[in-house]
Amino acid sequence: MSTLVTDQRRVSVGIGQIAVSTDPTEVLVAYGLGSCVGVTFYDPGTRSGGMVHVLLPDSEGRVSDGKEPARYADWGVAALLAELTRRGASRASLVIKVAGGAAVLGPANAEKFKIGARNAEAIKEQLKRLGLRVTAEDLGGTKGRTMELHMAAGRTYVRTAASSPTEL
Amino acid sequence: MLATAQRQITEALSIVARDGAVRAGRGLSGLMGQEIVIHVPNVRLGTKSDACDAVGGEEQVVLGAYLSMAGDISGHVMLLFPERRAFECVDLMCGQPIGTTVEADELALSAIGELANIVGSAFVNALGDYAHLVLHPTPPVLLNDMAIALVESVYAEVMAQAGDVLMIDTIFEDHSGETAGLLIVAPDPECISLLARQAA
Repeated sequence: MSTLVTDQRRVSVGIGQIAVSTDPTEVLVAYGLGSCVGVTFYDPGTRSGGMVHVLLPDSEGRVSDGKEPARYADWGVAALLAELTRRGASRASLVIKVAGGAAVLGPANAEKFKIGARNAEAIKEQLKRLGLRVTAEDLGGTKGRTMELHMAAGRTYVRTAASSPTEL
Repeated sequence: MLATAQRQITEALSIVARDGAVRAGRGLSGLMGQEIVIHVPNVRLGTKSDACDAVGGEEQVVLGAYLSMAGDISGHVMLLFPERRAFECVDLMCGQPIGTTVEADELALSAIGELANIVGSAFVNALGDYAHLVLHPTPPVLLNDMAIALVESVYAEVMAQAGDVLMIDTIFEDHSGETAGLLIVAPDPECISLLARQAA
């Protein structure tokens, strides 16, 4: 299924950033998730949704200075939930998709640092802690992914450098 | 004060990069049986986005290789080419007309891996000599992915998200033409402070 619709506005969600939307013409995009993990929330009732682009697993008690509010998994997931519920989204209805956490710098490096795997694990742990369930995930592997949340229908797509977009 | 320190480090790394380029050129020339000269016209600090822009943008598919530094200090070295530039490099290395290589086949990947091994190792050795450190480059890992996926993964691992990455524009030239790549070096914070002391 093509994701290229000309009247859509693409909103880039950079590393450590959070974006929320109720605009059906918007597509929230996290480009090239390597060891980073992207998380999308969508509430079909209010047609509101959001995305975070998480860089690292644990803030270890650091306090956000606001520049990268989703740098860590614990900051990002909580901030996205708070922002969406503040806008009236129902936490019980949230459709939650997770992608990324790859080991793009090779297996030896992945074994040493395990950032991708730790990010994925931390995101799931945070969601569980908040009583939220993952609807679908595309995690791990060795290839970078671009993740998109299309606000028109609340659908999430994932693609790699070598593959066309697939709905998650 | 910070700007002065950054300038000093960049200048020190420029010296290292030029020395590394000479060594890498020598190694490549020996391997190829023809003279390959490497120029490093620009050494600069930049953000993740700057690094991606230098190879054509965040989603640009790049070819290259990654090495990590081990020994007295640790760090990361990555040589990246936009695909078209990588193919030009393979043609230069194989002594064939530019435009011959059109896909990332086994030969192309092998050539890029060898190139990155020589260039990355030369830089690591030059850095070790400059800073009087024992450094070992690891064998290269071949990369063929979106630029941002590779760059952000290095950032995550060095915990240097708030800082900048060192970017070295690298021009490869033989008698018939030239092509360009980007060498990204992300030393750990210990290395940066050590270089600052050396450069002061």
